[in-house]
Amino acid sequence: MEVVYELKSVCKAFDKHVVYQDMSLVISAGETLTVIGGSGMGKSVCLKLMLGLLHAESGAVLFKGDEVSALDYHGQRELRRRVAMVFQGGALFDSMTIMENVGYALREHTSMSDSEIAERAWECLEMVGLGADRAILTRMPASLSGGMRKRVAIARSIAVRPEVIFYDEPTTGLDPSNIRRIDEMIRKLQRELGVTSVVVTHDMPTAFSVSDRIAMLYDRKFPFVGTPEDFKHHAVTEVRNFVQGRISDGAQR
Amino acid sequence: MASSIQESLNAALASIGGWITSGLEWLGGIGRIGGQAVLRGLRRPFGFYDILYQVVALGVRSLPLASVMSIFIGMVLTWQFGEALIGFGAKNAVGQAAALALVRELVPGILALTVGAKMSTGMAAELGSMKVSEQIDAIASLGADPIKKLVWPRLVAATISLPLLCVWGNVLALAGGAVIADVVFDVPSDYFYETYVDELWPSDYLSGLAKSLVFGVLVGLIGCYQGFTTKYGTEAVGLATTNTVVATSVSILAMDFLLTTLFLPVQ
Ligand SMILES: Nc1ncnc2c1ncn2[C@@H]1O[C@H](COP(=O)(O)OP(=O)(O)O)[C@@H](O)[C@H]1O
Ligand SMILES: [Mg+2]
Repeated sequence: MEVVYELKSVCKAFDKHVVYQDMSLVISAGETLTVIGGSGMGKSVCLKLMLGLLHAESGAVLFKGDEVSALDYHGQRELRRRVAMVFQGGALFDSMTIMENVGYALREHTSMSDSEIAERAWECLEMVGLGADRAILTRMPASLSGGMRKRVAIARSIAVRPEVIFYDEPTTGLDPSNIRRIDEMIRKLQRELGVTSVVVTHDMPTAFSVSDRIAMLYDRKFPFVGTPEDFKHHAVTEVRNFVQGRISDGAQR
Repeated sequence: MASSIQESLNAALASIGGWITSGLEWLGGIGRIGGQAVLRGLRRPFGFYDILYQVVALGVRSLPLASVMSIFIGMVLTWQFGEALIGFGAKNAVGQAAALALVRELVPGILALTVGAKMSTGMAAELGSMKVSEQIDAIASLGADPIKKLVWPRLVAATISLPLLCVWGNVLALAGGAVIADVVFDVPSDYFYETYVDELWPSDYLSGLAKSLVFGVLVGLIGCYQGFTTKYGTEAVGLATTNTVVATSVSILAMDFLLTTLFLPVQ
């Protein structure tokens, strides 16, 4: 299977605080990989490394064979057209309407007219289940519920039809029915758009329901990578504890 | 005894060293963000709409504060000079005395310290909360350039707005001074106006404007830099904002001193 992302012996630290040490990970085309691990361990940092928002001190972060941190201006724009990220909490632009939010990347990357952008924004909103009322296009992010904001954020990230989508804790802080809705949406987008997905979560039901493979962040690297079945009956105590919701002290260190 | 003096001396030197290092790092950061903003801002598209939006947000919304500050500084200074000049029986010279101090120094200085500090803290708070909520990362992830989108328009708008407010402030400071001259010291306001304007050369206006232009650049750079370097967490936004007040006012006063030494020998 074709490799989309390859991370090789990555080291990343903030001043003296080492987040990754000799970390490696491979992501294949079309799969949904879930990254699990305790909070503050560096899951978001991993996604930002792959988008080139952060740079590793050493090691390689390769997107289809190209080193991400060595891309020039145009290479970086191209990468960010092909790879989209749904941020934790949505990170919608407060001062813009929902339509401007969803159409933001189209304005950056294409020469589509305003009406074409509005049409595409509407399509994307329909795809995430917000197609009930066109009035949403002119609403502001602050007037939406948490679940709706997450879905608008997903709509924004699929507007330019990316090949890869990163979801940073897409279900954290949502109620169970919204969590199920988002889980289904992640699977649906993978089916319908054929995207490769990386889902960061510490919600095990989400991990089991959306993943082809799971990678667990532990001790500054990904020592445990496997299928959901592997993780349900894992031989290693730390993994079993995490999966069953007992985050041991060892996992934090 | 001697060793403990030695130790505390070492500790003091180390903390002074750390202080200087972080100060230099801060200056370097300000320089870097300014350089990037200008390099990328001067590339097409220039973002006129964003700049205009910021001119309204930063400049037009600061008109009330700028007006009040200017009127009061004009009144207070005229009063003080009037009191001093009465002692020499020279109260009629109050217009000449107030003119130079107001136009060259006080209007640009006070406006930068009040309106400018308001602008830079506003930027730091806004950009800081965008940073904390990952909106700045989101702009980059959508293929746009946060420096171009956020820093450039604010920098240009602050650089345009502060001198314009200074021109307006000069008018109001003169008016405030004229009222005090007339009411308190019985110096007719048209006489005050004539002596005031007579005293001023174009270079005086220009040096005042040049100052507020430089202050505008400082305000924009410091506000944006503080916002962009906000650490994680909502309390970090508060910290970034309060630090911005201190950084802005100290930089403005230091720059004011520098510019004064530069401009004064010309006279
Ligand atoms: N830009 C940054 N500057 C400094 N420290 C950071 C930065 N981003 C993340 N960190 C630190 O790196 C660690 C991992 O962060 P993160 O990836 O956000 O954790 P999580 O696994 O919860 O997503 C945390 O300790 C955080 O404080
Ligand atoms: Mg995170």
